[in-house]
Amino acid sequence: MTQRITKYQRFIMMNPIIQFFKFIYLSLKVLIIVAGRHGGTRKLK
Amino acid sequence: MSKVVVLGAGISGHVAASHLRRKLSKKHEVIVVSPNSNYQWIPSNIWVGIGRMKPKDILFPLTPLYKKKGIIFKQAKVQTFYPEGDLELNKPYVIVEYVDKENKGKKEKVTYDYLINGTGPKLNFEATEGLIPGKNKTYSVCNYTHAYHAWEGLSKLIQEMKQGKKAKILIGTGHAKSTCQGAAFEYILNVEQELRQHKVRDMAEITWISNEYKLGDFGMDGMLLSYGSMTLKSKEMVEMIFEDRGIKWIIGAGVNKIEDGIAYYETLEGEYKSETYDFAMLIPAFSGHGFKAFNKNSEDITDKIFKGFMIVDADYTPKPYEEWSVQDWPETYQNPSYPNIFAPGIAFAPPHAISKPRVSKNGTTISPSPPRTGMPSGITAKLVSDNIIDTIKSGNSSLKHKGSMGDMGAACIASAGYGMIKGSGISITTFPIVPDYNKYPNTHGRKLGKTFGEIGLAGHWLKLALHFTFLYKAKMKPFWWLIPE
Ligand SMILES: Cc1cc2nc3c(=O)[nH]c(=O)nc-3n(C[C@H](O)[C@H](O)[C@H](O)COP(=O)(O)OP(=O)(O)OC[C@H]3O[C@@H](n4cnc5c(N)ncnc54)[C@H](O)[C@@H]3O)c2cc1C
Repeated sequence: MTQRITKYQRFIMMNPIIQFFKFIYLSLKVLIIVAGRHGGTRKLK
Repeated sequence: MSKVVVLGAGISGHVAASHLRRKLSKKHEVIVVSPNSNYQWIPSNIWVGIGRMKPKDILFPLTPLYKKKGIIFKQAKVQTFYPEGDLELNKPYVIVEYVDKENKGKKEKVTYDYLINGTGPKLNFEATEGLIPGKNKTYSVCNYTHAYHAWEGLSKLIQEMKQGKKAKILIGTGHAKSTCQGAAFEYILNVEQELRQHKVRDMAEITWISNEYKLGDFGMDGMLLSYGSMTLKSKEMVEMIFEDRGIKWIIGAGVNKIEDGIAYYETLEGEYKSETYDFAMLIPAFSGHGFKAFNKNSEDITDKIFKGFMIVDADYTPKPYEEWSVQDWPETYQNPSYPNIFAPGIAFAPPHAISKPRVSKNGTTISPSPPRTGMPSGITAKLVSDNIIDTIKSGNSSLKHKGSMGDMGAACIASAGYGMIKGSGISITTFPIVPDYNKYPNTHGRKLGKTFGEIGLAGHWLKLALHFTFLYKAKMKPFWWLIPE
């Protein structure tokens, strides 16, 4: 069955104060993943 | 003195040119050839398409910037490649045709020591009969002109809805092999929210149409995501969002023809169907530009350099999906026949798709081509320029910098509606971009945690922050190079 967004989840999603902290968290997380290391794969073969 | 020619001033071309110019001394030449006099931050075209931004908000002219930075700019399009030169000119060159007012139609042989092809995709509208931006009630958001016209079409429809018209809106992919589902996904959610803002949501039926086998495939074979404390498939996440927004969906659909307000498509089951609409935004097929290449004796060697897009260090051996491997994907984006030619961003020919290929009962391939989003485009452009810089500085060929999409993360911050308080965004990151089923066998080829999804207002702020940050970086303002690609 399809998941539904509950009222409580929607409150979290749209609450500016909670989302402000989410914004900081997301920015850092995205930065770490994207700016993180990248390289080749073939040496692993 | 070395001469580096960069073709294209999109994300990959501009990133490459900026880094080359910053790190190479002025005795080396950096030349950019591109037909558009403006740089555009393409991801924000979504907001141009809903009237929340104007084209001028997402672009800036390249000539003054390049002049200031010492980058030579030719407003022209490349046509033909001569990687060995010819019998008269003993240097590799490309033939370019100018498009600016003063020089329009003039051709020039531009010689190079190193060539970076960052020409991205050709938006191949012709591959779908009747799919013409601004005609037959279909629109595109692939560039700022298209996106602005899309907004004109949409705002007219909103006015009609305010007068009581019931409308059908169709958004998704306009070809059986389209890619860039993410952009269409962002647009459908933004349109849906705009209709709510204009209080006409109940007058519209909104439908997603896509060549994906499952919702949330995004041309990436779907994803298994960490979502809060849960682990969710991207299919479940997108389904949840569409249910929440009252958006219907048609998947496994290869759109093959457009008439005024009618989209014809074939399904994977082999049925031929159609869908009517009052407004459609359909992403076209992306293809190579159809460039030609010749050797010293002017014999056609196009197949040595192009396979639709440009051939690089990928493994192009045809093989079934089950045998695809992450090692097939390129690492240095160097052309194997001509080591001084590189193709980062969308310009390189992928070894194969990422999503499992699907064929309809009639034999039509209906499945997404592999996407190459902005971040990998920037990262691959930077590593290509770093290798060229090392080679020039050391005098020895260097390919130290590598970046396979099978060992690289990407973030897709999809806008789901504009507004500082009412906006929303879906932040998805994947690591790696191309799934590595050997390394991560139990989590659909990707690392959970680094592959995650989040929905909420913060996503909108993040997308907006990226808009300003990347325009700042593209304008090469102080310390721009500290901002990662
Ligand atoms: C609507 C939309 C939204 C998107 N949103 C996101 C997003 O949120 N996040 C993300 O990561 N990615 C996003 N993408 C994808 C991203 O825009 C692309 O991955 C990126 O633009 C690819 O960069 P590129 O330099 O390879 O190609 P392009 O950006 O297409 O640049 C190609 C350049 O080559 C030039 N050119 C074309 N023909 C010639 C020629 N003959 N000679 C010389 N130059 C030529 C063009 O004028 C252009 O300057 C989005 C794409 C679209 C369409």
